Amino acid sequence: MTVLEQLQAEPKNLWKRIVLFIVLLAVVAWGSDSVSYQGIGEQGSIVASGILHGIFHPNPELLFNLTDGGVPYLVLQTIAIAILGTIFGAILAIPVSFLASTNIVPKWVAYIFRALILLIRTIPSMVWALVWIRVTGPGAFCGVVTQSVCSIGMISKMYITAIEDLDTGILESLDAAGCNTFQKIRVGIMPQLSASFVSTAIYRFDINLKDATTLGIVGAGGIGSPLVQSITYSRWSNVGAFLWALILLVLIIEYVSTRIRSTLARGRQ
Amino acid sequence: MIEFKDVSKTYPNGTKGLQHVNLQIEQGEFVAIIGLSGAGKSTLIRTINRMIDITEGQLTVDGTDVMTLKGSSLRKFRRKIGMIFQSFNLVSRSTVIKNVLSSNVPDMPWYKVFLGIYSKEQKIKALEALDKVNILDKAYHRCDELSGGQMQRVALARTLAQNPSIILADEPVASLDPIMADVVMSDFAKINKEMNITILLNIHHVDLALKYATRVIGVRAGQIVYDGPADQVTQDVLDQVYNGKAVPKSTDIQTEAEVA
Amino acid sequence: MSTAKIKKPPLFDRVFKPEHIVLENGHSVDRPRSRMPLILGSLLVVIVISLKMTGFDFSVIINRARELTVILGQIFQPNFSYFPNIVRPLVETIKMSILGTVIGCLIGLPLAILASSNINHHKPSLLAIRFILSIMRSVPTLIYASVLALVFGLGTFAGTLAITIFTVGIVAKMLYESIETIDMKPYEAMISFGATTLQAFWTACMPQILPTYVDDCLYCFELNVRASSILGYVGAGGLGVLIRERTGLRAYNDLGMVLLILFLVVLVIDFVNDYIRSKIS
Repeated sequence: MTVLEQLQAEPKNLWKRIVLFIVLLAVVAWGSDSVSYQGIGEQGSIVASGILHGIFHPNPELLFNLTDGGVPYLVLQTIAIAILGTIFGAILAIPVSFLASTNIVPKWVAYIFRALILLIRTIPSMVWALVWIRVTGPGAFCGVVTQSVCSIGMISKMYITAIEDLDTGILESLDAAGCNTFQKIRVGIMPQLSASFVSTAIYRFDINLKDATTLGIVGAGGIGSPLVQSITYSRWSNVGAFLWALILLVLIIEYVSTRIRSTLARGRQ
Repeated sequence: MIEFKDVSKTYPNGTKGLQHVNLQIEQGEFVAIIGLSGAGKSTLIRTINRMIDITEGQLTVDGTDVMTLKGSSLRKFRRKIGMIFQSFNLVSRSTVIKNVLSSNVPDMPWYKVFLGIYSKEQKIKALEALDKVNILDKAYHRCDELSGGQMQRVALARTLAQNPSIILADEPVASLDPIMADVVMSDFAKINKEMNITILLNIHHVDLALKYATRVIGVRAGQIVYDGPADQVTQDVLDQVYNGKAVPKSTDIQTEAEVA
Repeated sequence: MSTAKIKKPPLFDRVFKPEHIVLENGHSVDRPRSRMPLILGSLLVVIVISLKMTGFDFSVIINRARELTVILGQIFQPNFSYFPNIVRPLVETIKMSILGTVIGCLIGLPLAILASSNINHHKPSLLAIRFILSIMRSVPTLIYASVLALVFGLGTFAGTLAITIFTVGIVAKMLYESIETIDMKPYEAMISFGATTLQAFWTACMPQILPTYVDDCLYCFELNVRASSILGYVGAGGLGVLIRERTGLRAYNDLGMVLLILFLVVLVIDFVNDYIRSKIS
């Protein structure tokens, strides 16, 4: 083999790259043709400067107002919505995910429940909230119910992975030791699943908290509702106060949940 | 010519890497540096292309005082000095030839670097370098498909493609099995003879150092305790370099990597 | 952990002293008290407070369950003749997600590089960029959209911008986490033969990052299609406009059709992304 022979043998992928590039460019061009910048109107620039002003001058009265219209109460209410939504969702997801695990139930049963999970996951949580609001009326209660249902989707998906990874060798050894079904579940299955179930729930709590602020927009309680109202009525210093509270809340919860989950994964030292 | 004049290196934490080193290395020499782990072998090698800054004395390479270099002049200076590492330092996801071609990057315009376009001449030169280390047939394989010895030869080819006048090698055979270590060392010897490139290498295995190098430098606690022809290294010399401890051989099982 | 120096036990173990068990043969072991009662107890308190704060009332669900079944029943009987009205907003939604994802991913790459502690050794700028990125991520897309729709007028421009901001935050975070795990040795080698920081990064680090980068971008695109489908609710264009309008009119059969189409589109995009991923790896 000579150098020149090897040079000839070089795999040619220039054309592939060019075609890929053109396809990508075409997709972006197609995507951008209907998005047009119409400029900032007079109204727009008032809003923009209002927002900036509000962010640097949050309304202090709101921040330290301890009634149910103040920031502290609304933050706690948002957390409460996310906590209940997560706990109910995590509990409801247990039967659903066992019924959707191929190593527990027959395949056809599992697929029916998987379709149900997929359905829950695809409908945006806001649409769920819009449906539930007809049942519960607006308010934090609606947020809790919505999140309980929405959480089932993702939580089940992750539970299923944990259930299908179960080490069944332990069950055999418990059988040999003469355990009954309940004892087998308590001693053989629960310890294997509990850590990953709790970790999943905490992860979902993180998501639910962000989602709870969004749900407020359609009237499902929490800090989102007054935030959007303040935006609509141009109360910019209130917007600033709510935004700072929201950012701080999300950052703190994200940090704490990451810490707890990494402790769960590594075990206590 | 590489010249150390009373060079010292003190690390920020107070560790003395080099103490009053005086050395003169002529073009075309094959120098092996031996010594215990932590004796300052790595520091000595890495000061030459200023991967490590010296703190005292003067270090000149072909008449250039290396401590006066900075920014683009330093990069230009480094172009003529090749470097080989213990762990090969290749992009394992890329193909062999891409790794060899990467040695051209410093001289290329930004858009060619961005798009990864190399000229035909550069490719021929890269393939020739691969041919020189007998690994031409692997040119279009990914590096992670190769064995350790093959990867070190790719790294050698990458260095050759940059036309260096000096090659610095920091423990080049420490991660290889004894047979591959011998092959790679003979590659170094061949390059040294045929292309008149100065070679400076750190080596843990004294037997390989004595077999291939023409000159041996013994380092202990940052000081040079032996400097002379390879064939005059006696047991006394080794005792002095290794502080009376057992002398490492290439057939020993390698357990610890050279630290700093 | 025999080599570690003796640490002060955590507060819990100082309050609830570990049980000291002595075996018959004289060997002894300390059993730390279980944390379970404390955790369950505080969880119970938190739940009770939360139930009070949210006005949770289970009887409402039971009494008005019929309402729900009616609505869901209508959603599951989608009105297929409504399809022609969906096409335009659907295309709008997809266009917003594509453009927002592409721009967001392009901006996210340099920011991620500057936010990686193994590339950027300048601590203040590193922390500043990370802080900005976490703020970008913590504000929900819908809030961005509702503000931007007021600033730039109703329509897809505000939606695209909202998606771009969100994408930058999330892509940059995922990316800098993977950049920090790459092998920096090839980078060192390139520096040793005279490459600049940028040249060395692009040639030695980029090939390692590229597969994860493409993967992250595709993941973001999936997220963004779902997110942009509801942005219209605050006036930022796309399917959300229909969702708001149809629920307002209680036209749940039409809503069902919108959701069905959204479901199919998400399914197709997941499928295409999986195909691209299998091609790359």
